[in-house]
Amino acid sequence: MVDTAMRSSPRAMLALLLAWLVPGAGHVYMGRTARGVIIFLTIGATFWFGVAMGGVMTVDSRNERWWFIADMFTGVHGLVSWQRQEKVWNRLIDEDGQAQRLAQLDPLQQQAVADKKLNDAGLALVAPTDTVARAFAGVAGLLNLMCIFDAAMLSLMGIRGEPAEKVSKGRQGP
Amino acid sequence: MNGWTLFYNPITLDFYRLLWLLLPLCAFVAITYKTIRVENLRRLPLEILLLCVYLVLGLSGLGVGLYIVQRLWM
Repeated sequence: MVDTAMRSSPRAMLALLLAWLVPGAGHVYMGRTARGVIIFLTIGATFWFGVAMGGVMTVDSRNERWWFIADMFTGVHGLVSWQRQEKVWNRLIDEDGQAQRLAQLDPLQQQAVADKKLNDAGLALVAPTDTVARAFAGVAGLLNLMCIFDAAMLSLMGIRGEPAEKVSKGRQGP
Repeated sequence: MNGWTLFYNPITLDFYRLLWLLLPLCAFVAITYKTIRVENLRRLPLEILLLCVYLVLGLSGLGVGLYIVQRLWM
């Protein structure tokens, strides 16, 4: 039992990493391809449904840390969105060469300037869109966390492929 | 502000129609949960539908209950 777990550890780490990076890939790796594809489509749809509502600032590493952590559990989806958000943020802050001057302000003033720039660019998230959009994106991350755990457990227990169909133990005939 | 772009600019949600978004959220949760839990994939659609109904009814009941509590005691 212990030997099996020890031998499965590298595979479990790989399953865990794959399941995080591409939602559903952990299940595909464990031989559950159909489930992996369903997970990939569902997690992706949940996350991008949120981003479609909230726009590029849905994944916000500066002001929404807890939601951001949840978003990062979606792997490639979260990373792509974070990259997009950083790109837009840096472009907005630096568009008139104000980045250095802004860095000298205290955090509250920096936030006020940034909020105004986001508002002017039509990117500011306001209620109730902010909550709903971040809830969808965050829930996608938490759902994938559940899938990551499942893929890792399957790997640790050495279970590959779909479970065998149970044979009915009831009476087969007279 | 330039033209509105999907996945870039946020959309404006009507507060009173917000609750309808509970349906896709429940569906996404039910699909993911049942995909990893169900033993036989052939039973997946039925299991998803059942869990979806339970979630929507449960959350609706919770919402109505909290609304009543709020109306009576607040």
